[in-house]
Amino acid sequence: MFEARLEESAVLKKILDSVRDLVQEANWDCNDDGIVMQSMDSSHISLVCFMVRASSFEVYQCERNVSLGVKIDSLAKVLKCAASDDSVTLKADENEPNTMDILFESKKNDRISDFQLKLMVIDQEMLGIPESDYTSTVEMSSAEFRRIMGDLSTMGDSVTIEINKGGASFSTKGDIGSGNICLQKSASVDKPKDGVKITMVEPVKSTFSLKFLNIFAKAAALSDTVVLSMSEEYPIRIEFAIDKDVGYVRYYLAPKIEGQES
Amino acid sequence: MARLYKKAKYEPNEAVEFEASGPALEISRAQVVDPREEREALTFMQTDSSSYDAEGNVRLFGVTEEGISVFCRVEGFKPYFFVHIPPTWGDCGKLRVALQNVLQKSAPRFSGGSANLVLEIEEVERRSILYYVPGDPAHKFMKITLAEPRLMREAGGVFERGAIEGLAPTTTFEVTLDYTLRFMCDTGLVGCSWVEIPAGKYSVNRFNKTTSSQVEVSAHYRSLIAHKPEGNWLLSAPIRRLSFDIECSGRKGIFPEPEHDSVIQIANYVTTYGRKEHVAKVIFTLKSCAPISGATILSFDSEADLLSEWSNFFRQCDAEVITGYNIVNFDLPYLMNRAEILGVKAFPFLGKMLNSKTTMRSSQLSSSAFGTHESKDFSMDGRVIMDMLQIITRDYKLRSYSLNSVSAEFLSEQKEDVHYSIITDLQQCSDQTRRRLAKYCLKDAILPSRLMDKLLSLTNYIEMARVTGIPLSWLISRGHMIKVVSLLHRKAYEIDLLIPDLERGAAGGKSGGDGPQFEGATVIEPDRGYYTDPIATLDFASLYPSIIMANNLCYSTLIRKDDLGRLKKEDYATSPTGDHFVRSSVKKGVLSTILEGLLGARKTAKKDLAKEQDPFRKAVLDGRQLALKISANAVYGFTGATVGKLPCMEISSSVTGYGRDMIQATKAGVESKFPGSRVIYGDTDSVMVKFGDGLTLERSMELGREAANQISQLFPNPIRLEFEKCYYPYLLISKKRYAGLYWTKLDKHDKMDCKGVESVRRDNCRLVANVISDVLESLLIRRDREGAIKLVKDVISDLLQNKIDLSLLVVSKALTRAEGSYDAKQAHVTLAEKMKSRDPGNAPTLGDRVPYVITRGTKKQAAYDRAEDPLYALKHNLPLDTQYYLENMLRKPLERIFEPILKSRTSELFSGGHTQKVSVVTPTNGIAKFAKKQLTCLGCRTPLKPGTIGALCVHCKPREAEFYLKYLHECETLEDDFAALWTECQRCMGEVCQDVYCSNVDCPIFYRRTKTQLDLAEASKKLLRFVPEW
Repeated sequence: MFEARLEESAVLKKILDSVRDLVQEANWDCNDDGIVMQSMDSSHISLVCFMVRASSFEVYQCERNVSLGVKIDSLAKVLKCAASDDSVTLKADENEPNTMDILFESKKNDRISDFQLKLMVIDQEMLGIPESDYTSTVEMSSAEFRRIMGDLSTMGDSVTIEINKGGASFSTKGDIGSGNICLQKSASVDKPKDGVKITMVEPVKSTFSLKFLNIFAKAAALSDTVVLSMSEEYPIRIEFAIDKDVGYVRYYLAPKIEGQES
Repeated sequence: MARLYKKAKYEPNEAVEFEASGPALEISRAQVVDPREEREALTFMQTDSSSYDAEGNVRLFGVTEEGISVFCRVEGFKPYFFVHIPPTWGDCGKLRVALQNVLQKSAPRFSGGSANLVLEIEEVERRSILYYVPGDPAHKFMKITLAEPRLMREAGGVFERGAIEGLAPTTTFEVTLDYTLRFMCDTGLVGCSWVEIPAGKYSVNRFNKTTSSQVEVSAHYRSLIAHKPEGNWLLSAPIRRLSFDIECSGRKGIFPEPEHDSVIQIANYVTTYGRKEHVAKVIFTLKSCAPISGATILSFDSEADLLSEWSNFFRQCDAEVITGYNIVNFDLPYLMNRAEILGVKAFPFLGKMLNSKTTMRSSQLSSSAFGTHESKDFSMDGRVIMDMLQIITRDYKLRSYSLNSVSAEFLSEQKEDVHYSIITDLQQCSDQTRRRLAKYCLKDAILPSRLMDKLLSLTNYIEMARVTGIPLSWLISRGHMIKVVSLLHRKAYEIDLLIPDLERGAAGGKSGGDGPQFEGATVIEPDRGYYTDPIATLDFASLYPSIIMANNLCYSTLIRKDDLGRLKKEDYATSPTGDHFVRSSVKKGVLSTILEGLLGARKTAKKDLAKEQDPFRKAVLDGRQLALKISANAVYGFTGATVGKLPCMEISSSVTGYGRDMIQATKAGVESKFPGSRVIYGDTDSVMVKFGDGLTLERSMELGREAANQISQLFPNPIRLEFEKCYYPYLLISKKRYAGLYWTKLDKHDKMDCKGVESVRRDNCRLVANVISDVLESLLIRRDREGAIKLVKDVISDLLQNKIDLSLLVVSKALTRAEGSYDAKQAHVTLAEKMKSRDPGNAPTLGDRVPYVITRGTKKQAAYDRAEDPLYALKHNLPLDTQYYLENMLRKPLERIFEPILKSRTSELFSGGHTQKVSVVTPTNGIAKFAKKQLTCLGCRTPLKPGTIGALCVHCKPREAEFYLKYLHECETLEDDFAALWTECQRCMGEVCQDVYCSNVDCPIFYRRTKTQLDLAEASKKLLRFVPEW
């Protein structure tokens, strides 16, 4: 029997919110390390993956690796029935994962709700972007990132991100004009998360679709900071580390190539 | 380099190959013996009478029984028209002088100033066809005969404008009647009829011939004897048909343009109408070509020679009917343009008139029945161009009109399709590759001819020409209207009625022009449900024609409101819409007479058809009865066409008015005379009756017959209600949508009949049609509800697991308007633009049907944006949006069908356990370019740790043999499928040793072959993982 108990359902809810705009159904791979989901969005432009580490569960029992075919919308519907501070337990039969039992318990232990969700059999190849040594990274506040993406998308549909010695710049062009937002390295003493950290081996410049970046930015709810990692002519990696070392949500997006349709 | 085509007998199936410099090609007609004009009558079937020279001498082209082509110049016939002149104005002589003067002034171009333009003016007594006037008095009309046809409009205009001093503007009569039709009316000639010219009444023109016909004569029009198409005159002469197709070399990605791309091959297929064996297969090729058995190959080094030789061949062949596929809008214009660019002066003389240059102009035919079509018109006297594409688009509603899918539909044959982008490569390679091209080209020339035979197009068109009395070529170049015009004029001419020239759009009655639409036919509200008792169907036979006949509705019986007071009450009847028509006892309507003739003739034809044994005569008779039926029904439409020649809303609205009353009366009648019976549905000319619960089929049929007889008594003759069939069982979905098993006999049902159900509609993918027809079959024939439900679930499950053949998911829509002029975004338009940006040469153009599939996209991305070229989707392995297909394509039609059966439980069809298994393919573009596949266990799909050897994870390892066999089986099945598909394609291509080049997107095999190939590669890869590396 696979069993995993999270102290607060809110984390799981937020994770689902960060992937449900991109993925309709996906396999959740559960093993000794934790739960991992890795999937292309349905238009196969981007790749999204999340990981919840085994250590972050109150109870985590996984005798053998199991792949659970989850319909994201359906699970989200079930999770709506839980209060944010309810604990949540996921259970499935490892040998024949046809259904998943979902159990909510309130803080005071006075309310227990039990749901059963039908699982799907999803025949899909597992894809991953090979980890590479990114030549440049920017770490910044996730709220700031969300704001920049929102602001730029009022002007255009793609953003050019450039990292060089001067800092990180985000620029866009549209029918009504153009815009550019530039961030410089800074350290905020009292609020470390508001600072901007830039590491750069080589300068890099690539253009990405704002539509997707805006969807990714919604994951700001999971984490105070975001790390953008880039290399020339390589997909950008956008990582939101879930607080308290619970895990992460990562997005990969291929750069737009001049003159090619997205 | 002129070559002789010897006139000798051709031996069919003689496999002789000709070199360009070899012996002359034999392409002969029957041996000609000049007719002895003093002793022998000349009899021939005329195939074209639509042209005339400037003096009004009509050109009749035809073929004798022996197959000799004949041209007859008919002399002496002159155009005329009528005007109504007040008696106070003066005599004929005065009018003639006045008209001559005005014409000479207004149209000096017609004459040298003194020519005699007005030949004769005669006073005659006639009646107008419009309105019955009490007492039915005849009026004095002037019959004005002119010297030349082209003077007609001018002269008519003189009276309409009132250009003669002292004469007020007045309506003219029969000015707008085509000269040819006037001639045919007066001589009693109908289209494609046999003509006899008695001995001594014609002269043979032996020298200085003006046409390519074998025999050329001239005769006076009064000497012509027009034979009615009856008895032996029903048969057709051995008309010669030429079907051809061209191939052009193109540049990569650009559709051939005559300015740049040469014509490399022209394949020709010559046949004789009514004979099984062909006359010749001739292929003209640029550069040498390896021999093809049964065909003659003529090779040329220069394209100009090829074109000029082909035009020689075309004239020598001297066919009456030219056919092909899309020749009107592609092949012929391409050849003409190309010849002009290459300066081949002798080329554009393709008609039977030797010295008349063939010209081309764009035309647009708008017809309510056929829609608007742009096409080219060619002046090719004596030859009728029957482009099978045009004929099939007119007469059949199909999903796709490409030659591939049309031959698949009618001849059940797939054909190889060489994409034009590789034609150039084939041409440049060797004489063997050119031979392949030639075989392909020849097939494209043969298919139209075979389609024409299979669909009996020529037979049916000839009969239509005979029934309606118009030249064959007009059936193609003009709409339905002209047929009724011809019928009306012919009948009116017999009984001295004159037809006024109405301005277009000005209707002859209260509501004209774009006036309000009148009420259409009645539909009795359907009582929806799934009926397991027999449902009897009662039909009115030829409803609208019989209403017109029964109530004597006609132009000539319509009474003006003001004249009503002067008539006796019993002499006229008032229609449900409040219009008045005199009874037939007072004056019989022309329309009734025409319809009686048509329906009577149809009855005779049907009777003869039943007796006839000879298959050719049978086909002709069947074509004839069909033509008669269509023509009878066209009469009603003619009276209601607001932009027509003689619209009369009083007639058409009265017809539908009577029709509505009759349906209601039938319902009331049946329900009162047969207690317990219920009319569950009725539309226009039929009612569906359930006579009671638990009745046998036999009893229902009896009751149906009885009811038809009894109810018929309620209506005047010749209106007759007929019992035709029972539906048993019957699924009534909604208005105009139903399905049922069709029974006319007791032992076995005739067929499954579906109306308005998605199985027959073409605006969705084939999967929908297939599922619906399978479901209906299960419900109606096997009466297995559970089976039908299971069937739907299986299909849905297959769909979600990507197991459905891609070709079944292709939707196609025609690109009918230019870019940017569509208001709403539509899938096929968006896709066409996308394809244009990818490859402008390959993108669909205006008029093409664009095939597409819906792929997965981002959330909230509109479906039109996700449309993709099926081939592109296949090649890039794009995942299809199976949910979209389920929700937007399958769901509604299936719900409609299952609603009467399952009531509110239909949702179980779309969300049961069978929807829990899905399969998503990995595309080759997008982020996948950067991604690396992570191996997963082939048993439980969990990711494998890097470095794991074998296909399975540790937990599944013990069951390795089981999984291996499963994948092995999968792989073997795919291998078998692929081998079968590949051989199928090789067979279709007719070669087993060469690669398959075909990219026929209309052929389901093509998609399956490509998909199986991809699947197989995937499956073999999986299988290999079981084998450890050595």
